[in-house]
Amino acid sequence: MIIDREVPGSLQFQPTKVELDEEVAAAKATLLHDIKRSVYLYRCDLGGCNGCEIEIFSTITSVFDAERFGIKNTASPRHADIMIYTGAVTRSTRLPGLRAYAGAPDPKLVVAYGACGCSGGIFHDNYCVWGGADKIIPVDVYIPGCPPSPAQTIYGLAMALGLLEQKLHAETTVEADDERAPLRFETIPYKVRVEIEREARRLAGYRYGCDLANEFLTTLMLADVDVHGTMTQFIASQDDPRRVEIYRRLYDVLMSHARSDG
Amino acid sequence: MLKLFKEIRKTGCATVGYPFEPLAQADGVRGKPEHTADACIACAACAVACPPNAIQMIPDIEEGTVTWSINYGRCIFCGRCEEVCPTRAIVLTKAFELAVMSKADLETKSVYRLQACSVCGEYFASRKQIELAARILGQDSDQTEVLQAIDGLGICPTCKRTRDGVAASNHAKLTGGVR
Ligand code: SF4
Ligand code: SF4
Ligand code: SF4
Repeated sequence: MIIDREVPGSLQFQPTKVELDEEVAAAKATLLHDIKRSVYLYRCDLGGCNGCEIEIFSTITSVFDAERFGIKNTASPRHADIMIYTGAVTRSTRLPGLRAYAGAPDPKLVVAYGACGCSGGIFHDNYCVWGGADKIIPVDVYIPGCPPSPAQTIYGLAMALGLLEQKLHAETTVEADDERAPLRFETIPYKVRVEIEREARRLAGYRYGCDLANEFLTTLMLADVDVHGTMTQFIASQDDPRRVEIYRRLYDVLMSHARSDG
Repeated sequence: MLKLFKEIRKTGCATVGYPFEPLAQADGVRGKPEHTADACIACAACAVACPPNAIQMIPDIEEGTVTWSINYGRCIFCGRCEEVCPTRAIVLTKAFELAVMSKADLETKSVYRLQACSVCGEYFASRKQIELAARILGQDSDQTEVLQAIDGLGICPTCKRTRDGVAASNHAKLTGGVR
């Protein structure tokens, strides 16, 4: 499927991004990795769904306790060291976002929070969305997730403050000359495998159906001589009655093939 | 006061050890989608399924390649890619430490070669996909239809249609036309 990657960007007015002047940039570079005091953070919503807010606030509850690292939430950008921007930057939230940015004293760190804040996320191709806080202001840390879990948030903030290392790096792999994708469940005839997978997905939904079919087929692969015995034992060993029922039906599918193939 | 201390001792500490110790995560947590480049056949099923277009496939006709890419900064961790992947090349793991300082680090790419049609020479699918299809069909290679199907794998859909059309019209001529 070829998607026109310029839309809606090419049809929209593009805002000018706030640029840092050199002095602030230098001050910020010092702050970014060597802050020796507590930091206050201010959260600014630029049109998200509020999922991210909920996770930010669960980050400061006692279970994840961001205050262990001196990270505190503040109600005003005037006190903030870290600005957290959530949401995909909609038309009507751009100005409030810029005002909050201008309201916070320099140097300040800017965190783009959530899939929306990083790149627009699920709303990225909406007509009234610019897709990401970095379209209007300079961003220092990107925390992906929809929403990011509290642990992910702590990781991102700790990384911003130089406490933890970045783990994800850009990577490009190139197909090798004789690269072949492995054939899954090679010894099971393709049609039988597909039918078992289909039946499992029909009964248990795509995700769990896939897991169940995998378990069933793996057991089947290992059963060499006494297929009937192994599978009956496998089905009997399940403690969840739903699994028993689904595996029994998968076994029926298998047997109907065995009969028709002789 | 003593009572309070006793209470505190009884309740214990609710705070998790992360980041000083690994985080205990429940089963079924959906974290980073991990792509195994070797197992991927560049079939684009995941790119079609991905709701926010975090996975994209961009063909380069000049080079004869197609680039699979995932943007973790756009992924919503829904698991649709895992559901549709025929080879389980992309699977959601529990890894969650994805925050980065530069946006470019959010993207992972894999480059695959395209297969040119043996009749017209146009690229029409990825090489690995055709190769896997041949191997799957080869499992039943005792049937003539299957052998014919394997023969036709390297031909693009347009040429295949032309070939079938010609065959049908020849057949019609031989048997006195279609009524
Ligand atoms: S990233 Fe997801 S949870 Fe956060 S605001 Fe956007 S849609 Fe909501
Ligand atoms: S988990 Fe969902 S959003 Fe993320 S890459 Fe897979 S399909 Fe796309
Ligand atoms: S669905 Fe699986 S095999 Fe197909 S392109 Fe995506 S990762 Fe690769």
